[in-house]
Formats: sequence, structure tokens, C-alpha cells
Amino acid sequence: MATTHLYTYGITDDADVAFEIDGVDGASDVYAVEHGSLAAIVSDSERMEPDRSDENLRAHDDVLQELLYRDGGRTVVPMQFGMVFKNARALKGVLRGGRRAFRKALNDVEGRVELGLKILADEGATVDRESIVATVEERLGPVCVSETENGLFSDRLVVNRSYLVEREDRAAFDEAVDELIDEYGETLTIQYTGPWAPYSFVDIEIGAKR
Amino acid sequence: MFVVDDLLVRPFVSLLNVVHTMAIEEFYDTEAIRDDIKENRLLFEIDERSREAYEERRAELERQLDVAEQARENLQGKVEIKR
Repeated sequence: MATTHLYTYGITDDADVAFEIDGVDGASDVYAVEHGSLAAIVSDSERMEPDRSDENLRAHDDVLQELLYRDGGRTVVPMQFGMVFKNARALKGVLRGGRRAFRKALNDVEGRVELGLKILADEGATVDRESIVATVEERLGPVCVSETENGLFSDRLVVNRSYLVEREDRAAFDEAVDELIDEYGETLTIQYTGPWAPYSFVDIEIGAKR
Repeated sequence: MFVVDDLLVRPFVSLLNVVHTMAIEEFYDTEAIRDDIKENRLLFEIDERSREAYEERRAELERQLDVAEQARENLQGKVEIKR
């Protein structure tokens, strides 16, 4: 029989989590591994290094979405894709060692979601990048809690940012994005995504042995 | 004579090293390949690339990334590679 490891999706303070879903690497049951006031949300995995396939990446996010919204929703500190622990003991060791950092991260993102905005120019088009960036900052800055630049990995990208937004400010943020679409939608491609678990606003490095 | 040989040869060797390092850096630039993977995904998401073209390009880029990562691992300590 294959050894079962624990694929970890995120950390929350709600241990009352158990549901069926298409998880990473074909897993179907998601449940909580509790340590103190923290709970890691996991599914069983036969591999320590799951494939970075589209299906697995989507499954990772689907589970986080369920956690964010299922049964009234809860705050989740998302794990990066691919975090697999050898067993519950190793995982609990991480929860114990990182409890302060996890607790702080949970407080930082409580009641907030991440939204993403990418703006692309057409192939070979010349655009006034500074002006576009300034307009985006002016419109979205007042309706977000925090924002982060994600890197312009394509020559066509003008803006690639993530925003941390209070759930109650979602409508105002949507309106501000609509204004940007009205202004630039004819000449630029705008990709507005989310809500996501706050991947870009949690920065915890786990140094423990998995 | 030793000193003269040394002076003549050294710059040549160091120039070769620079050229070699630059070639490796360009050929095995894992960050650039990762950026291409992200761009490919983005173009698919905004419907500028068909699923077939996206998957074909993705498989090609993942192969390149595997080769580049393996090459960098093999060259570690032998050649300094900077981005």
C-alpha cells in the first residue's frame, strides 16, 4: 500500500472542515488537521511532489474557494501550490513553529479577499504606460487595503497587480474597475480576476522539514 | 617568458569565460522561460491563443525549463551563472 502524505491547501482557525471535492492529485476528501487554535486544511496524497498541471493548480484553488465561501465562509491563509507534508506529525510541527506568523497572517487578511488586475497592450502597440499606471492607482488605491505589483512578465503587460479588498468594499472596487474598462477597454485588454484567497498578501517562509 | 605568457594568455582565457558564461546564461535562463510560461497562459486566458496552441507551447516550454534546470544543476560550482 502506498504511503499517504498530506497535501496542504491553507491554514485557518476553523477545525470544523470536512467536505468532498476534486482535490489535488485526484483526492476527493478535504479535512482539517488541528493543532492548538490553528487548523491545516489537507487532503491525502501519495506523492510528495504533485504535478504542476492545470488540473492540479485549479483543484488547489477550488478547495481554497470552497473554504472562503462554504458554510458562511472563513478566513484562510493560503499555502503555495505543492506543499506536501510527510505526515500529520510533520505538519503539526510546522503549525506549532509558525503559530505566531500564521496567527498574524490570519488577522491581516480577515474579512478580506484578493482581486487581480492585468492590463495588456496590443502586440507592438505604443502606449503611455506611466499615465495608465497613474490612473489605475488613482482609481483603485482608495478602495483597497493594500496592493502589490506582480511583475511584468510579458512585454505587452502594462499593469499586473493584486489588491487586498475588504469583502464589504467589493462593490466599490468593481465599480472602480468598470470605470477603468470604460476608459481603456477599447484600446487595451483588461483582465479582472478573483476573488482569490489572499496568496499575494501572505509571506511566511516555512523552514521546517516537510 | 613565464610572465609574458601569463599576461598574454590570461585575458584571453577570461574573455572566453565571459562569453561562455553569457551563452549559458542566455540559453539556460530559467526565469525567462518561466515568464514565457506565464505569458502563454495569459494569452490563452484572454482568448488570444487556442487551447491547442497553448498546450503545445506549454509542453515545449516545460521541456526547455527541465533542460535548463538540469543544466544549471550540473554546472553549479563550475560556472557562475548570473541573471
